Amino acid sequence: MNEQPPAPPPVANLEFKAALLLLLLVLLLAGSVLYVMYARGVFEATQRLVLVADDSEGVTVGMDMTFSGFPIGRVRRIELAEDGVAHIVIDVPKKDARWLRESSVFTLVRGLVGNVAIRAYSGILADPPLPDGAVRRVLVGDATAEIPQLVAATRELVRNLTALSGADSALTATLGNVQATTERLKGRHGALGVLLGNDDDAKKLIAALDRTNALLARVDGLAARVDGVVARADAQVFGPEGVMPETRAAIVQLNATLADARKTLQQADRLLVEAQAVAANARVASADLGTLRAEVEASLRKVEHLVNEINRKWPFARDTELKLR
Amino acid sequence: MRSRRGALADLGQSVLRWFAGWSRILHLGALLLVLALSPSSYTRANRAAMAQHIVLGTAPILLWYTLLSSLLGLVLIRIVVVTAASYGLSRFALQMVVRVLVLELIPLTAAIFVALRVGLPDGRELARMRQRGELDALRQRGLDPLRHEVLPRVLAGAFAVLMLAAVAGVVTLVLAYLTVHGFTLGGLGRYTRTVGQVFSPAVTLIFTIKTFLFALAVSLIPVASALFDLPRGRVRTSAELQALVRLFLVMLLIEAASLVGNYY
Repeated sequence: MNEQPPAPPPVANLEFKAALLLLLLVLLLAGSVLYVMYARGVFEATQRLVLVADDSEGVTVGMDMTFSGFPIGRVRRIELAEDGVAHIVIDVPKKDARWLRESSVFTLVRGLVGNVAIRAYSGILADPPLPDGAVRRVLVGDATAEIPQLVAATRELVRNLTALSGADSALTATLGNVQATTERLKGRHGALGVLLGNDDDAKKLIAALDRTNALLARVDGLAARVDGVVARADAQVFGPEGVMPETRAAIVQLNATLADARKTLQQADRLLVEAQAVAANARVASADLGTLRAEVEASLRKVEHLVNEINRKWPFARDTELKLR
Repeated sequence: MRSRRGALADLGQSVLRWFAGWSRILHLGALLLVLALSPSSYTRANRAAMAQHIVLGTAPILLWYTLLSSLLGLVLIRIVVVTAASYGLSRFALQMVVRVLVLELIPLTAAIFVALRVGLPDGRELARMRQRGELDALRQRGLDPLRHEVLPRVLAGAFAVLMLAAVAGVVTLVLAYLTVHGFTLGGLGRYTRTVGQVFSPAVTLIFTIKTFLFALAVSLIPVASALFDLPRGRVRTSAELQALVRLFLVMLLIEAASLVGNYY
């Protein structure tokens, strides 16, 4: 135990090497700190987006919001608002914010094993960009939440199917009826028996059909006789001794009569012209009569004037009254 | 009856001795912390001693530890990535690699490596010096052995742990990136994002505190065990081995506390 431990060999440039090691450690630590700060987005200018969800279960601080599979935002904080809904505060770097528009839709999707993903969808990239501090409702798509409903619906379906396929179900009865119907289809009266329900009616229908056939045969004979009548009528009307040639001769005679009548009318026209000439002469004569009357009136006025003159020139008579004795 | 009372007394005495041992270690740690923070400890002679201990303690093991941890890390990364891919969970493989290797395994293995290669030899050296009376000789010359012999060793041990953990951590991060994405820079953005998700503020704080506590325990406990006649009890192990057991107990507690802090 008492042997002298071997003295360590002197190290060249001891202080320098020690300083180098210290520097290396400081550089490593500072670099790591800076890298982690960069990785956590400390140096990025961000804008805030608040997603409102009824249930924030599964969402953790630091998880990503993705757009087309690319992370464009981080959950910075999750808080319970006064109205009882969850507010998921997301930091979106300014350079990635251009993917978010006014019309963007945000979904919170839960997978079957409970993993949660927040996704953004921008249908119209020409819309105005999403402002800082925007509050949006997040659409929740929960795969596991559908399962109980699905199970309930399936159970209902299975119950209905069981009721349908039961021995006393309507479907079975219908199938039985269909089977009976096909049996009767294969029977003596076939589909007719199925339609009428019993064999008696089918027989009646067949008898009616037979009688209809006989009736049709008689109608055929009747039609042949009608044909003969029509042929005879044709001969009487249009034949050489028929009605039509005689009618044509009568029409010729009628034309001749009409020509005579036209001639008579022309003579009447001429008479009328002469009568008009007589009337014109009479009108001239009446115009002369007017002149004559005017002359008579003028002679009368001269006579009256003469009488008045005599009355004025008659010196003995004081009264102007002319007494014709 | 007497034997039972004697057994009880023995038990009480051993419990007291246990507490006394730990309180001495804590007291020494506090003293060294004060010395490390006082500028008068960094005289020229002391600086030279510190430089010697730092270079001789860290430089020889740095390369070896980095190589070994890289090899182990590569194997583990490969296993995790391949297994995760076979379950269709490769999204989570990278997170798991970073968590398991960088956060948990590397600080622990670095601390164990330094404890075996630096801490325990330092403790043995100090114990020999004490047995030969060199420390008392220093004290008689008016020099504080705590300041001139113990403090440089403790600081060098702590430095070695931090250095090894930092280098191996960075190397492992690079290896993980290369294993997952290959020799291309295309996946750097996504990888950085994953690392950022793992190193949340709480996790980073716990990781830092844990690494510092490891460094302190590894450098302090073997030295403290060497400086004092720690109670041996009836155990038959040597003082060195007992210091190692003590050290591993403390490291286990630190690791457990960090796990509780991270995952509860």
